[in-house]
Amino acid sequence: MGEVEKTFISGLKEVLVEEKVIDESQLEPSFAKEIKKYGGKDVMTCLQCGNCTGVCPISLKIDYKTRIIIKYCQFGLKKFTLGTRWVCATCYRCYEHCPADINPAEVMIALRHIAVREGVIPPFIKVAATNLVRYGQSVKPDEEVNKIRKELGLGDIHTFDPGYKKVLREISILVHASKYDKLIGIEEEVKT
Amino acid sequence: MTQYAYFFGCVIPNRYPGVEYAVRWVCGKEGFDIDVMDVPEFSCCPVPGIFYSTDKDTWLLLAARNLVLAQDERREILTVCNGCFTSLMKGSEYLRDPKSMGRVNRVLAQVGKKYTGVPKKSEGRRKVFEPVSVRHYIDVMANDVGLEAITAKTKRSLKNISVAVHYGCHYLRPTETRTIDDPNNPVLLDRIVEACGATSIDYEDKLDCCGAGGGVRSHVVDLANSLTEDKCKNISAVGADCIVTGCPFCLLQFDNAQKTFSKDGIPVMHVSQFQALSMGIDPISLGFDTHHVSAHSLLRKLRGS
Repeated sequence: MGEVEKTFISGLKEVLVEEKVIDESQLEPSFAKEIKKYGGKDVMTCLQCGNCTGVCPISLKIDYKTRIIIKYCQFGLKKFTLGTRWVCATCYRCYEHCPADINPAEVMIALRHIAVREGVIPPFIKVAATNLVRYGQSVKPDEEVNKIRKELGLGDIHTFDPGYKKVLREISILVHASKYDKLIGIEEEVKT
Repeated sequence: MTQYAYFFGCVIPNRYPGVEYAVRWVCGKEGFDIDVMDVPEFSCCPVPGIFYSTDKDTWLLLAARNLVLAQDERREILTVCNGCFTSLMKGSEYLRDPKSMGRVNRVLAQVGKKYTGVPKKSEGRRKVFEPVSVRHYIDVMANDVGLEAITAKTKRSLKNISVAVHYGCHYLRPTETRTIDDPNNPVLLDRIVEACGATSIDYEDKLDCCGAGGGVRSHVVDLANSLTEDKCKNISAVGADCIVTGCPFCLLQFDNAQKTFSKDGIPVMHVSQFQALSMGIDPISLGFDTHHVSAHSLLRKLRGS
Protein backbone atom coordinates (compact mmCIF):
# COMPACT_ATOMS: atom_id res chain seq x y z
CA MET A 1 0.00 0.00 0.00
CA GLY A 2 1.15 3.49 -0.71
CA GLU A 3 -0.08 6.87 -1.81
CA VAL A 4 -0.54 7.08 -5.51
CA GLU A 5 -1.68 9.98 -7.62
CA LYS A 6 -4.19 8.72 -10.08
CA THR A 7 -5.73 10.34 -13.12
CA PHE A 8 -9.25 9.10 -13.57
CA ILE A 9 -10.77 8.44 -16.92
CA SER A 10 -12.48 11.82 -16.95
CA GLY A 11 -9.16 13.57 -16.31
CA LEU A 12 -9.80 14.15 -12.61
CA LYS A 13 -6.65 13.84 -10.48
CA GLU A 14 -6.76 12.45 -6.97
CA VAL A 15 -4.35 10.95 -4.46
CA LEU A 16 -5.35 7.44 -3.53
CA VAL A 17 -4.06 5.12 -0.84
CA GLU A 18 -4.01 2.07 -3.05
CA GLU A 19 -1.56 -0.08 -4.86
CA LYS A 20 -3.59 -1.16 -7.81
CA VAL A 21 -4.60 1.86 -9.80
CA ILE A 22 -5.91 2.03 -13.29
CA ASP A 23 -4.94 4.84 -15.60
CA GLU A 24 -5.78 5.58 -19.18
CA SER A 25 -2.60 4.03 -20.54
CA GLN A 26 -3.89 0.60 -19.54
CA LEU A 27 -7.14 0.92 -21.42
CA GLU A 28 -7.77 -0.64 -24.78
CA PRO A 29 -10.87 1.02 -26.21
CA SER A 30 -11.17 -1.53 -29.03
CA PHE A 31 -11.50 -4.45 -26.61
CA ALA A 32 -15.30 -4.49 -26.71
CA LYS A 33 -15.16 -4.63 -30.50
CA GLU A 34 -12.71 -7.50 -30.39
CA ILE A 35 -15.07 -9.44 -28.12
CA LYS A 36 -17.89 -8.86 -30.59
CA LYS A 37 -15.71 -10.15 -33.41
CA TYR A 38 -15.40 -13.52 -31.69
CA GLY A 39 -19.10 -13.96 -31.14
CA GLY A 40 -19.66 -12.16 -27.84
CA LYS A 41 -22.46 -9.63 -27.59
CA ASP A 42 -21.93 -5.92 -26.95
CA VAL A 43 -20.54 -5.72 -23.40
CA MET A 44 -21.25 -1.97 -23.39
CA THR A 45 -24.94 -2.70 -22.87
CA CYS A 46 -24.22 -4.40 -19.51
CA LEU A 47 -26.16 -2.74 -16.69
CA GLN A 48 -23.80 -4.08 -14.00
CA CYS A 49 -26.75 -5.50 -12.11
CA GLY A 50 -24.74 -8.48 -10.88
CA ASN A 51 -27.34 -11.17 -11.60
CA CYS A 52 -24.71 -13.14 -13.51
CA THR A 53 -22.42 -13.23 -10.48
CA GLY A 54 -25.27 -14.17 -8.17
CA VAL A 55 -26.11 -17.30 -10.15
CA CYS A 56 -22.54 -18.25 -11.12
CA PRO A 57 -21.50 -21.50 -9.41
CA ILE A 58 -17.80 -20.67 -9.81
CA SER A 59 -18.06 -17.21 -8.21
CA LEU A 60 -19.10 -18.89 -4.95
CA LYS A 61 -15.82 -20.74 -4.81
CA ILE A 62 -13.06 -18.48 -6.03
CA ASP A 63 -12.36 -14.83 -6.62
CA TYR A 64 -14.09 -14.77 -9.96
CA LYS A 65 -16.92 -12.33 -10.38
CA THR A 66 -18.61 -12.33 -13.76
CA ARG A 67 -19.85 -8.76 -13.35
CA ILE A 68 -16.33 -7.47 -12.63
CA ILE A 69 -14.95 -9.22 -15.70
CA ILE A 70 -17.65 -7.63 -17.86
CA LYS A 71 -16.71 -4.28 -16.29
CA TYR A 72 -13.05 -4.87 -17.24
CA CYS A 73 -14.22 -5.63 -20.77
CA GLN A 74 -16.19 -2.38 -20.89
CA PHE A 75 -13.13 -0.38 -19.83
CA GLY A 76 -10.84 -2.34 -22.12
CA LEU A 77 -8.67 -3.69 -19.31
CA LYS A 78 -7.54 -6.67 -21.30
CA LYS A 79 -4.77 -7.85 -19.00
CA PHE A 80 -7.05 -7.81 -15.95
CA THR A 81 -9.08 -10.58 -17.53
CA LEU A 82 -6.00 -12.78 -17.90
CA GLY A 83 -6.18 -16.06 -16.08
CA THR A 84 -9.87 -15.86 -15.31
CA ARG A 85 -11.28 -17.05 -18.60
CA TRP A 86 -10.60 -20.77 -18.25
CA VAL A 87 -12.61 -21.30 -15.08
CA CYS A 88 -16.03 -20.62 -16.62
CA ALA A 89 -17.96 -23.91 -16.67
CA THR A 90 -20.15 -22.54 -19.52
CA CYS A 91 -23.26 -23.53 -17.56
CA TYR A 92 -25.09 -20.55 -19.15
CA ARG A 93 -26.94 -19.69 -15.97
CA CYS A 94 -25.75 -16.11 -16.35
CA TYR A 95 -27.37 -15.97 -19.78
CA GLU A 96 -30.73 -17.12 -18.42
CA HIS A 97 -30.65 -14.41 -15.76
CA CYS A 98 -29.22 -11.50 -17.75
CA PRO A 99 -31.75 -8.68 -18.17
CA ALA A 100 -29.60 -7.03 -20.85
CA ASP A 101 -29.40 -10.28 -22.87
CA ILE A 102 -25.61 -10.18 -23.02
CA ASN A 103 -24.82 -13.85 -22.51
CA PRO A 104 -21.73 -13.46 -20.28
CA ALA A 105 -20.76 -17.10 -20.96
CA GLU A 106 -20.32 -16.25 -24.63
CA VAL A 107 -18.22 -13.24 -23.60
CA MET A 108 -15.97 -15.64 -21.66
CA ILE A 109 -15.77 -17.82 -24.77
CA ALA A 110 -14.82 -14.76 -26.85
CA LEU A 111 -12.14 -13.97 -24.23
CA ARG A 112 -10.80 -17.50 -24.67
CA HIS A 113 -10.63 -16.94 -28.43
CA ILE A 114 -8.62 -13.78 -27.81
CA ALA A 115 -6.37 -15.50 -25.26
CA VAL A 116 -5.55 -18.35 -27.63
CA ARG A 117 -4.66 -15.87 -30.35
CA GLU A 118 -2.29 -14.18 -27.91
CA GLY A 119 -0.56 -17.46 -27.23
CA VAL A 120 -2.15 -18.21 -23.85
CA ILE A 121 -3.05 -21.85 -24.49
CA PRO A 122 -3.68 -24.10 -21.48
CA PRO A 123 -2.14 -27.57 -21.93
CA PHE A 124 -5.49 -29.40 -21.90
CA ILE A 125 -6.53 -27.67 -25.12
CA LYS A 126 -3.48 -29.06 -26.89
CA VAL A 127 -4.06 -32.52 -25.42
CA ALA A 128 -7.69 -32.65 -26.55
CA ALA A 129 -6.89 -31.26 -30.00
CA THR A 130 -4.09 -33.79 -30.40
CA ASN A 131 -6.42 -36.60 -29.36
CA LEU A 132 -8.96 -35.48 -31.92
CA VAL A 133 -6.43 -35.52 -34.74
CA ARG A 134 -4.85 -38.82 -33.65
CA TYR A 135 -7.91 -40.82 -32.62
CA GLY A 136 -10.95 -38.85 -33.83
CA GLN A 137 -12.01 -38.63 -30.17
CA SER A 138 -11.25 -36.00 -27.58
CA VAL A 139 -10.32 -38.67 -25.01
CA LYS A 140 -7.62 -41.24 -25.59
CA PRO A 141 -9.05 -44.68 -26.34
CA ASP A 142 -8.14 -47.23 -23.70
CA GLU A 143 -7.14 -50.85 -24.48
CA GLU A 144 -8.50 -51.98 -21.09
CA VAL A 145 -11.90 -50.47 -21.80
CA ASN A 146 -11.85 -52.08 -25.24
CA LYS A 147 -11.44 -55.47 -23.52
CA ILE A 148 -14.47 -54.76 -21.32
CA ARG A 149 -16.39 -53.72 -24.44
CA LYS A 150 -15.66 -57.11 -26.00
CA GLU A 151 -16.79 -58.90 -22.83
CA LEU A 152 -20.07 -57.00 -23.04
CA GLY A 153 -20.44 -57.96 -26.70
CA LEU A 154 -19.92 -54.43 -28.00
CA GLY A 155 -17.72 -53.82 -31.05
CA ASP A 156 -14.27 -52.25 -31.03
CA ILE A 157 -13.91 -48.54 -30.34
CA HIS A 158 -14.18 -46.96 -33.80
CA THR A 159 -10.59 -45.68 -33.62
CA PHE A 160 -9.28 -49.27 -33.67
CA ASP A 161 -11.28 -49.98 -36.82
CA PRO A 162 -9.00 -50.00 -39.91
CA GLY A 163 -11.67 -48.14 -41.91
CA TYR A 164 -11.45 -45.22 -39.47
CA LYS A 165 -8.20 -43.99 -41.10
CA LYS A 166 -10.31 -42.23 -43.72
CA VAL A 167 -12.12 -40.30 -40.97
CA LEU A 168 -8.82 -39.29 -39.35
CA ARG A 169 -7.58 -38.01 -42.71
CA GLU A 170 -10.74 -35.95 -43.16
CA ILE A 171 -10.36 -34.45 -39.68
CA SER A 172 -6.73 -33.56 -40.43
CA ILE A 173 -7.74 -31.85 -43.68
CA LEU A 174 -10.46 -29.81 -41.94
CA VAL A 175 -8.26 -28.84 -38.99
CA HIS A 176 -5.52 -27.79 -41.39
CA ALA A 177 -7.91 -25.89 -43.68
CA SER A 178 -9.13 -23.72 -40.81
CA LYS A 179 -5.52 -23.18 -39.64
CA TYR A 180 -6.42 -24.59 -36.23
CA ASP A 181 -3.26 -26.70 -36.16
CA LYS A 182 -1.14 -23.56 -36.42
CA LEU A 183 -3.24 -21.68 -33.87
CA ILE A 184 -2.90 -24.36 -31.21
CA GLY A 185 0.60 -25.48 -32.21
CA ILE A 186 -0.08 -29.07 -33.26
CA GLU A 187 1.21 -28.83 -36.85
CA GLU A 188 3.40 -31.92 -36.48
CA GLU A 189 0.31 -34.02 -35.66
CA VAL A 190 -1.63 -33.04 -38.75
CA LYS A 191 -0.93 -35.11 -41.83
CA THR A 192 -2.69 -34.00 -44.96
CA MET B 1 -41.80 -43.80 -37.15
CA THR B 2 -38.78 -41.59 -36.74
CA GLN B 3 -35.42 -43.00 -37.74
CA TYR B 4 -32.35 -42.22 -35.68
CA ALA B 5 -28.58 -42.54 -35.81
CA TYR B 6 -26.70 -43.25 -32.58
CA PHE B 7 -24.21 -40.61 -31.50
CA PHE B 8 -22.36 -41.87 -28.45
CA GLY B 9 -19.56 -39.29 -28.42
CA CYS B 10 -16.21 -39.84 -26.73
CA VAL B 11 -16.82 -40.45 -23.03
CA ILE B 12 -19.32 -43.33 -23.30
CA PRO B 13 -17.44 -45.68 -25.67
CA ASN B 14 -14.04 -44.95 -24.13
CA ARG B 15 -14.87 -44.73 -20.41
CA TYR B 16 -18.34 -46.13 -19.70
CA PRO B 17 -19.04 -49.03 -22.08
CA GLY B 18 -21.86 -50.10 -19.73
CA VAL B 19 -23.82 -47.01 -20.74
CA GLU B 20 -23.43 -47.89 -24.42
CA TYR B 21 -24.63 -51.40 -23.69
CA ALA B 22 -27.63 -50.07 -21.75
CA VAL B 23 -28.62 -47.63 -24.49
CA ARG B 24 -28.39 -50.31 -27.18
CA TRP B 25 -30.35 -52.71 -24.99
CA VAL B 26 -33.09 -50.20 -24.17
CA CYS B 27 -33.42 -49.11 -27.81
CA GLY B 28 -33.05 -52.63 -29.18
CA LYS B 29 -35.22 -55.70 -29.65
CA GLU B 30 -35.52 -56.40 -25.91
CA GLY B 31 -36.54 -52.85 -25.23
CA PHE B 32 -38.49 -50.38 -27.33
CA ASP B 33 -37.31 -51.62 -30.73
CA ILE B 34 -36.46 -48.19 -32.10
CA ASP B 35 -35.27 -47.82 -35.70
CA VAL B 36 -31.72 -46.67 -35.00
CA MET B 37 -28.44 -47.34 -36.79
CA ASP B 38 -24.73 -46.88 -36.20
CA VAL B 39 -22.72 -44.45 -38.28
CA PRO B 40 -19.12 -45.58 -37.75
CA GLU B 41 -17.67 -42.48 -39.45
CA PHE B 42 -18.91 -40.15 -36.69
CA SER B 43 -16.05 -38.41 -34.91
CA CYS B 44 -15.96 -36.29 -31.75
CA CYS B 45 -18.88 -33.84 -31.82
CA PRO B 46 -16.40 -31.77 -31.30
CA VAL B 47 -16.34 -31.08 -27.60
CA PRO B 48 -17.65 -27.53 -26.95
CA GLY B 49 -15.34 -26.80 -23.98
CA ILE B 50 -12.33 -27.13 -26.25
CA PHE B 51 -13.24 -26.28 -29.82
CA TYR B 52 -16.23 -23.98 -29.43
CA SER B 53 -14.15 -22.14 -26.81
CA THR B 54 -11.05 -21.63 -28.90
CA ASP B 55 -12.05 -21.46 -32.54
CA LYS B 56 -15.67 -21.41 -33.64
CA ASP B 57 -14.78 -21.89 -37.32
CA THR B 58 -13.03 -25.20 -36.66
CA TRP B 59 -15.79 -26.26 -34.31
CA LEU B 60 -18.44 -25.61 -36.96
CA LEU B 61 -16.50 -27.48 -39.65
CA LEU B 62 -16.11 -30.59 -37.52
CA ALA B 63 -19.72 -30.46 -36.32
CA ALA B 64 -20.92 -29.99 -39.91
CA ARG B 65 -18.95 -33.07 -40.95
CA ASN B 66 -20.93 -35.14 -38.45
CA LEU B 67 -24.20 -33.49 -39.46
CA VAL B 68 -23.56 -34.31 -43.15
CA LEU B 69 -23.23 -38.01 -42.27
CA ALA B 70 -26.66 -37.96 -40.59
CA GLN B 71 -28.12 -35.88 -43.41
CA ASP B 72 -26.97 -38.41 -46.03
CA GLU B 73 -28.65 -41.18 -44.07
CA ARG B 74 -31.80 -39.02 -43.72
CA ARG B 75 -31.85 -39.67 -40.00
CA GLU B 76 -32.18 -37.70 -36.79
CA ILE B 77 -29.12 -37.77 -34.53
CA LEU B 78 -29.78 -39.46 -31.20
CA THR B 79 -27.21 -38.07 -28.77
CA VAL B 80 -26.67 -39.69 -25.40
CA CYS B 81 -24.50 -36.86 -24.05
CA ASN B 82 -25.31 -33.26 -23.15
CA GLY B 83 -22.06 -32.02 -24.68
CA CYS B 84 -22.66 -33.71 -28.03
CA PHE B 85 -26.25 -32.52 -27.93
CA THR B 86 -25.42 -28.86 -27.42
CA SER B 87 -22.51 -28.91 -29.86
CA LEU B 88 -24.39 -30.56 -32.73
CA MET B 89 -27.62 -28.69 -32.09
CA LYS B 90 -25.79 -25.36 -32.10
CA GLY B 91 -23.96 -26.44 -35.25
CA SER B 92 -27.23 -27.26 -36.95
CA GLU B 93 -28.64 -23.87 -35.90
CA TYR B 94 -25.54 -21.98 -37.09
CA LEU B 95 -25.85 -23.67 -40.48
CA ARG B 96 -29.34 -22.24 -41.00
CA ASP B 97 -27.54 -19.08 -42.01
CA PRO B 98 -26.80 -19.41 -45.76
CA LYS B 99 -23.52 -17.49 -45.40
CA SER B 100 -22.19 -19.87 -42.72
CA MET B 101 -23.38 -22.81 -44.77
CA GLY B 102 -21.58 -21.56 -47.86
CA ARG B 103 -18.37 -20.93 -45.97
CA VAL B 104 -18.48 -24.38 -44.37
CA ASN B 105 -19.30 -26.10 -47.66
CA ARG B 106 -16.33 -24.49 -49.42
CA VAL B 107 -14.02 -26.28 -46.95
CA LEU B 108 -16.07 -29.47 -46.68
CA ALA B 109 -15.69 -29.84 -50.48
CA GLN B 110 -12.04 -30.77 -49.77
CA VAL B 111 -13.26 -33.96 -48.11
CA GLY B 112 -16.06 -34.52 -50.63
CA LYS B 113 -18.94 -33.52 -48.36
CA LYS B 114 -21.72 -30.98 -48.63
CA TYR B 115 -24.17 -29.78 -46.03
CA THR B 116 -27.60 -28.88 -47.38
CA GLY B 117 -29.93 -30.05 -44.67
CA VAL B 118 -32.44 -32.84 -45.11
CA PRO B 119 -34.71 -32.45 -48.15
CA LYS B 120 -38.27 -32.56 -46.82
CA LYS B 121 -40.56 -31.72 -49.71
CA SER B 122 -40.44 -30.00 -53.07
CA GLU B 123 -42.45 -26.94 -54.04
CA GLY B 124 -42.55 -27.17 -57.82
CA ARG B 125 -38.92 -27.39 -58.86
CA ARG B 126 -37.62 -26.02 -55.61
CA LYS B 127 -36.65 -28.43 -52.87
CA VAL B 128 -37.23 -27.44 -49.27
CA PHE B 129 -34.47 -28.38 -46.87
CA GLU B 130 -34.66 -28.63 -43.13
CA PRO B 131 -31.69 -28.54 -40.75
CA VAL B 132 -30.52 -31.92 -39.48
CA SER B 133 -32.49 -32.68 -36.36
CA VAL B 134 -30.44 -33.34 -33.21
CA ARG B 135 -32.24 -35.07 -30.36
CA HIS B 136 -31.32 -35.83 -26.77
CA TYR B 137 -31.82 -39.34 -25.40
CA ILE B 138 -34.08 -38.02 -22.61
CA ASP B 139 -36.18 -36.12 -25.14
CA VAL B 140 -36.60 -39.21 -27.35
CA MET B 141 -37.46 -41.43 -24.39
CA ALA B 142 -39.98 -39.05 -22.82
CA ASN B 143 -41.62 -37.73 -25.98
CA ASP B 144 -41.16 -40.28 -28.79
CA VAL B 145 -41.21 -43.52 -26.81
CA GLY B 146 -43.54 -42.15 -24.18
CA LEU B 147 -43.77 -42.50 -20.43
CA GLU B 148 -46.62 -45.05 -20.59
CA ALA B 149 -44.48 -47.32 -22.74
CA ILE B 150 -41.63 -47.01 -20.24
CA THR B 151 -43.94 -47.97 -17.37
CA ALA B 152 -45.39 -50.86 -19.39
CA LYS B 153 -41.90 -52.34 -19.87
CA THR B 154 -40.88 -52.33 -16.20
CA LYS B 155 -40.14 -55.76 -14.80
CA ARG B 156 -38.11 -55.09 -11.68
CA SER B 157 -39.69 -53.17 -8.83
CA LEU B 158 -37.79 -50.02 -7.89
CA LYS B 159 -40.47 -48.92 -5.45
CA ASN B 160 -38.22 -48.23 -2.47
CA ILE B 161 -35.41 -46.60 -4.45
CA SER B 162 -35.10 -42.85 -4.11
CA VAL B 163 -33.22 -41.09 -6.86
CA ALA B 164 -31.54 -37.71 -7.04
CA VAL B 165 -31.64 -36.64 -10.67
CA HIS B 166 -29.03 -34.36 -12.17
CA TYR B 167 -29.90 -32.78 -15.51
CA GLY B 168 -26.59 -31.19 -16.44
CA CYS B 169 -26.26 -27.66 -17.75
CA HIS B 170 -26.17 -28.23 -21.49
CA TYR B 171 -29.36 -30.24 -21.44
CA LEU B 172 -31.14 -27.08 -20.27
CA ARG B 173 -29.14 -24.15 -21.46
CA PRO B 174 -28.59 -21.95 -23.35
CA THR B 175 -32.17 -21.37 -24.41
CA GLU B 176 -30.95 -19.13 -27.24
CA THR B 177 -32.15 -21.36 -30.04
CA ARG B 178 -34.20 -24.26 -28.78
CA THR B 179 -35.17 -25.97 -25.55
CA ILE B 180 -36.48 -29.42 -24.82
CA ASP B 181 -37.45 -28.71 -21.24
CA ASP B 182 -38.16 -25.79 -18.95
CA PRO B 183 -34.67 -24.47 -18.09
CA ASN B 184 -35.75 -23.33 -14.63
CA ASN B 185 -38.03 -26.20 -13.77
CA PRO B 186 -37.13 -29.25 -15.89
CA VAL B 187 -39.32 -32.32 -15.54
CA LEU B 188 -38.54 -34.94 -18.21
CA LEU B 189 -35.76 -36.82 -16.40
CA ASP B 190 -37.78 -36.87 -13.16
CA ARG B 191 -40.73 -38.25 -15.10
CA ILE B 192 -38.65 -41.01 -16.71
CA VAL B 193 -37.33 -42.03 -13.29
CA GLU B 194 -40.86 -42.04 -11.88
CA ALA B 195 -42.13 -44.00 -14.90
CA CYS B 196 -39.53 -46.65 -14.08
CA GLY B 197 -41.21 -47.00 -10.71
CA ALA B 198 -38.68 -45.20 -8.50
CA THR B 199 -39.13 -41.99 -6.55
CA SER B 200 -37.33 -38.86 -7.66
CA ILE B 201 -36.56 -36.79 -4.61
CA ASP B 202 -36.02 -33.07 -4.61
CA TYR B 203 -32.85 -31.62 -3.14
CA GLU B 204 -31.33 -28.21 -2.69
CA ASP B 205 -29.67 -26.59 -5.70
CA LYS B 206 -30.81 -29.38 -7.98
CA LEU B 207 -30.02 -27.46 -11.14
CA ASP B 208 -26.49 -26.54 -10.10
CA CYS B 209 -23.58 -27.45 -12.34
CA CYS B 210 -21.54 -30.58 -11.58
CA GLY B 211 -18.42 -28.47 -12.12
CA ALA B 212 -16.83 -30.35 -15.00
CA GLY B 213 -17.98 -28.36 -18.04
CA GLY B 214 -16.21 -25.74 -20.11
CA GLY B 215 -12.80 -27.29 -19.50
CA VAL B 216 -12.90 -26.60 -15.74
CA ARG B 217 -12.31 -30.26 -14.90
CA SER B 218 -9.31 -30.42 -17.20
CA HIS B 219 -7.94 -27.06 -16.09
CA VAL B 220 -8.57 -26.75 -12.32
CA VAL B 221 -9.75 -30.13 -11.11
CA ASP B 222 -9.98 -29.04 -7.44
CA LEU B 223 -12.44 -26.30 -8.33
CA ALA B 224 -14.60 -28.76 -10.28
CA ASN B 225 -14.47 -31.26 -7.41
CA SER B 226 -15.46 -28.68 -4.81
CA LEU B 227 -18.61 -27.91 -6.82
CA THR B 228 -19.39 -31.62 -6.98
CA GLU B 229 -18.82 -31.90 -3.23
CA ASP B 230 -21.50 -29.27 -2.61
CA LYS B 231 -23.93 -31.16 -4.81
CA CYS B 232 -23.17 -34.48 -3.14
CA LYS B 233 -23.67 -32.95 0.31
CA ASN B 234 -27.14 -31.78 -0.72
CA ILE B 235 -27.89 -35.17 -2.24
CA SER B 236 -26.82 -37.19 0.82
CA ALA B 237 -28.80 -34.79 3.04
CA VAL B 238 -32.03 -36.09 1.49
CA GLY B 239 -30.86 -39.70 1.61
CA ALA B 240 -30.87 -40.59 -2.08
CA ASP B 241 -29.86 -44.15 -3.04
CA CYS B 242 -28.31 -43.11 -6.33
CA ILE B 243 -27.74 -40.22 -8.70
CA VAL B 244 -29.20 -40.50 -12.20
CA THR B 245 -27.98 -38.17 -14.91
CA GLY B 246 -28.51 -37.78 -18.63
CA CYS B 247 -24.92 -36.78 -19.34
CA PRO B 248 -21.86 -39.08 -19.31
CA PHE B 249 -19.53 -36.17 -18.56
CA CYS B 250 -21.50 -35.28 -15.41
CA LEU B 251 -21.45 -39.02 -14.65
CA LEU B 252 -17.67 -39.04 -15.04
CA GLN B 253 -17.33 -36.00 -12.79
CA PHE B 254 -19.57 -37.36 -10.02
CA ASP B 255 -17.87 -40.73 -10.29
CA ASN B 256 -14.29 -39.45 -10.16
CA ALA B 257 -14.77 -36.52 -7.81
CA GLN B 258 -16.51 -38.47 -5.05
CA LYS B 259 -13.43 -40.54 -4.27
CA THR B 260 -11.53 -37.34 -3.40
CA PHE B 261 -13.87 -36.32 -0.57
CA SER B 262 -15.79 -39.38 0.59
CA LYS B 263 -15.04 -43.01 1.26
CA ASP B 264 -18.14 -44.72 -0.07
CA GLY B 265 -19.92 -42.21 -2.20
CA ILE B 266 -23.34 -42.27 -3.80
CA PRO B 267 -23.67 -44.59 -6.82
CA VAL B 268 -24.04 -42.66 -10.08
CA MET B 269 -25.50 -43.90 -13.33
CA HIS B 270 -26.77 -42.81 -16.68
CA VAL B 271 -30.53 -42.73 -17.20
CA SER B 272 -30.26 -45.58 -19.73
CA GLN B 273 -28.63 -47.82 -17.10
CA PHE B 274 -31.41 -46.97 -14.68
CA GLN B 275 -34.06 -47.76 -17.30
CA ALA B 276 -32.36 -51.05 -18.12
CA LEU B 277 -32.39 -51.93 -14.40
CA SER B 278 -36.13 -51.31 -14.22
CA MET B 279 -36.63 -53.39 -17.38
CA GLY B 280 -35.08 -56.36 -15.65
CA ILE B 281 -31.59 -56.52 -17.15
CA ASP B 282 -28.90 -58.50 -15.33
CA PRO B 283 -26.87 -55.71 -13.62
CA ILE B 284 -23.63 -57.45 -14.60
CA SER B 285 -24.07 -56.21 -18.20
CA LEU B 286 -24.32 -52.60 -17.10
CA GLY B 287 -20.58 -52.35 -16.52
CA PHE B 288 -20.82 -50.94 -13.00
CA ASP B 289 -17.35 -52.35 -12.35
CA THR B 290 -15.92 -49.62 -14.63
CA HIS B 291 -17.41 -46.99 -12.28
CA HIS B 292 -15.21 -45.74 -9.44
CA VAL B 293 -18.08 -45.49 -6.98
CA SER B 294 -19.39 -48.97 -6.32
CA ALA B 295 -23.08 -49.57 -7.06
CA HIS B 296 -23.23 -52.40 -4.50
CA SER B 297 -25.31 -50.47 -1.95
CA LEU B 298 -28.00 -49.88 -4.56
CA LEU B 299 -27.93 -53.41 -5.99
CA ARG B 300 -28.13 -54.90 -2.50
CA LYS B 301 -31.21 -52.79 -1.79
CA LEU B 302 -32.72 -53.96 -5.10
CA ARG B 303 -32.16 -57.61 -4.25
CA GLY B 304 -33.71 -57.08 -0.83
CA SER B 305 -36.92 -55.71 -2.30
